[in-house]
Amino acid sequence: MPSETRIFKANRIVTMNTSLPQATHVAVRDGRILAVGGPELVDAVGPATLDDRFAGNVIVPGFVEGHGHAADGLMWRNPYVGYFPRTAPDGARHAGFRNLRDLIDQLRWTEAAMTGPDKPLVAWGFDPIYFDGPRLTLADLDSISTRRAVVVAHVSGHIQNVNSVVLQRAGFSADSNLQGLVRDAAGQLTGELQGPAVMGRASRVTGDPGLTRVLDVPALRDFGKLTRRVGVTTATDLANTLADETVTAMHVATAEDDFPLRLVPALRARDYGVREGIARIAALRRLNSERLHFGVAKLVVDGSIQGFTARLRWPGYHNGAPNGLWYVAPAELGGIIEAYHQAGIQLHLHTNGDEASELAIEMIGRAVSAHPRLDHRHTLQHCQMAEEAMFRRMNTFGICVNLFANHIYYWGEQHRALTIGPSRAQRLNACATALRAGVPLAIHSDTPVTPVDPLFTMWCAVNRFTAQDRVLGPYERITPEQALHAVTLGPAYTLHMDHLIGSIDVGKFADFAVLDRDPLAFEKMKIREISVRATISGGRVFDNA
Amino acid sequence: MTPIPLTVIGGFLGAGKTTLVNHFLRTATRRIGVLVNDFGAINIDAALIASRDSEMVALTNGCVCCGTGDDLGAGLVRLMARERGIEHVIIEASGVSDPWRVAQLALVEPGFNLEPIVVVADGVALPRQLRDRWVSDTVRGQLLAAELVVLNKAEHATAEARAAIQAIRPEARLIETRHGVMSADLLQFPTRPPSRFRAEVVVEHAFQSWHFIPDGPFDRDRLRALLVGLPASVLRVKGFCRLGREAAPHLLQFASGQWALSSSDALEPGLVVIGTPMMPDSDELTALFDAALSH
Repeated sequence: MPSETRIFKANRIVTMNTSLPQATHVAVRDGRILAVGGPELVDAVGPATLDDRFAGNVIVPGFVEGHGHAADGLMWRNPYVGYFPRTAPDGARHAGFRNLRDLIDQLRWTEAAMTGPDKPLVAWGFDPIYFDGPRLTLADLDSISTRRAVVVAHVSGHIQNVNSVVLQRAGFSADSNLQGLVRDAAGQLTGELQGPAVMGRASRVTGDPGLTRVLDVPALRDFGKLTRRVGVTTATDLANTLADETVTAMHVATAEDDFPLRLVPALRARDYGVREGIARIAALRRLNSERLHFGVAKLVVDGSIQGFTARLRWPGYHNGAPNGLWYVAPAELGGIIEAYHQAGIQLHLHTNGDEASELAIEMIGRAVSAHPRLDHRHTLQHCQMAEEAMFRRMNTFGICVNLFANHIYYWGEQHRALTIGPSRAQRLNACATALRAGVPLAIHSDTPVTPVDPLFTMWCAVNRFTAQDRVLGPYERITPEQALHAVTLGPAYTLHMDHLIGSIDVGKFADFAVLDRDPLAFEKMKIREISVRATISGGRVFDNA
Repeated sequence: MTPIPLTVIGGFLGAGKTTLVNHFLRTATRRIGVLVNDFGAINIDAALIASRDSEMVALTNGCVCCGTGDDLGAGLVRLMARERGIEHVIIEASGVSDPWRVAQLALVEPGFNLEPIVVVADGVALPRQLRDRWVSDTVRGQLLAAELVVLNKAEHATAEARAAIQAIRPEARLIETRHGVMSADLLQFPTRPPSRFRAEVVVEHAFQSWHFIPDGPFDRDRLRALLVGLPASVLRVKGFCRLGREAAPHLLQFASGQWALSSSDALEPGLVVIGTPMMPDSDELTALFDAALSH
């Protein structure tokens, strides 16, 4: 088939290419960018179709979600009961629940419509910290069903509410006194389960994988629908065991003609021995295609700040909670980093607390000093509490960072009041300091933890507003240009893909987001209201209308 | 169904947990199932291995060993479903995990008896670990959970290491080993069948056990008050009892201030109480438990 050239004309094209920051026309051939410029392009590139349906819009590079999870595509098989509005893969807007009454009523209707008595009802995304007044009770969940297992999973992942059916099947009687079985003032079980031991038991007796299902092709298609609706053209799945059946599903889904996304799965290194993990990545790399990019590995160093499992330096948690957990022993972490580093593999290290970030920097520093390798681009993920000195050391060792900007909005108030207190909250996800220290910066959503939506993530980094309209850390606000970079070329760099994606330049993949406004010229506080008109992946247009 | 003894072996990275487990596997006289809380880390003497697949290693003497990731409970259930006839389960905790969090599984999953929580300490590295800026709280926390501390590399252990253990966890029994060699008897609490006497204290292995045959059902509230108020020297209460007016017996498992009570089909009521040498004596325990009965 002869290749066809198509020229997209826009009101403005923001290229993120410093040699040619702005344009109005971009020519595409074979899924790649052939030329960028003004109206002169029409004559310069030879026979071409001029596509002017976006003539009134703004084209930016397709967004890159540098820290997301494809499991987002699985979540929507279960009802969403979060507080904040959220859009499902089919485009349905879920308004979220502002009170418990509505939430319970909705689950009652959902239950009534379910067929087959054995299938559990598992709802996800519940976040009670925003509700005043009474907690969700056992009576509430029993009012949904006393015959079917009902589980309401909290957004944190560490807590869930269950009904009496689940308690009974799990053998959790009111006579027992187990850690993680929450009781009310009268000593009765509330149906709230905390921690892996009791939650694990409950999930095993509900008889359905619920939220722990393994990725399949339909889930990946749904992930593609979620990401393309918000202008994302490349997303990570950070991280995955990458067992054969998952790899096959990724291979099949990404090979489909209308799959709108480049997928970058990271191997969960701890699911393998060190040698086996390195060998697994080498084997997976042979399956790489234009839309599927294996090759990076992920390591989780600590837990989460709001779950009080992140490792914090002195003075620790603001509310006096004991320090969090290492998910890998420091010396062992050093050994794993050294081995992957020597094997030429790039590592993404989850470090939430500042002590975890400090340890990771130290261990990468040792590996880099012992085995110099330029351009390794090891990246700290989340790295929410790092301060100036840490960013300077990251710069010294060539470490990149992907900060969790969405946290400022979703949990900023909790961090200020409970976890790290008002002073350290000023530098929560310190984007400006990272840039001043010269550390390559990306920002992320960690979807499904918070919804994937890079324009919203940009808005968070630019304005630093919490859910209660407070500016948290005004000196860490960055400009819209910096924020746009941090959701395009920035994350592309942290994935070793900046030569392929992240800006609009000749030779790169024709991956664009078409917006109704220019995020660099629009009011800063309204960046999150900009709509994505279409997403273009490899030159193929996915219209959002 | 007779509950299967379950022993948790914890301790920091490098302390010698795997050496200890290998020793038990090598000298096993019954079928041990080992669950290692780490992928790809199954490290067993090659001479012992009969076969190996992606999730499990089978040994020539009938023992099996498998690795598992974060969801230990799922790993335990998978192991028991796949291998019938396991007579003792050992969970080798990861080098950074809190052994008590692992042990909680034995209360949550039915069918297990929680045996002593064993924490292996590195006789050489321990003092340094307890001063380390990154790991001191983790190592200390592990020792605090111990009921039996195994001081490994004892031939090189310093007085400082012994003193540190004594200071952090004086209640635990301390065993010194070289190359992880110790008797498998220590993996279980000693228990003897009750004699014709109603109550009897057996001193053995430095753990004490006491048997109690309630001559009626417990009162729910009084039993709860009794269990809440038990001193830290009481490590376990386990066995069968009746509650209130319910005819069906209940299985009780108590450890570290937590307990599970579940309906059961046992025939004879009878509880065994296990503790440190500081445990209250027979008369005191009789008085405590008698006072919790319904009558």
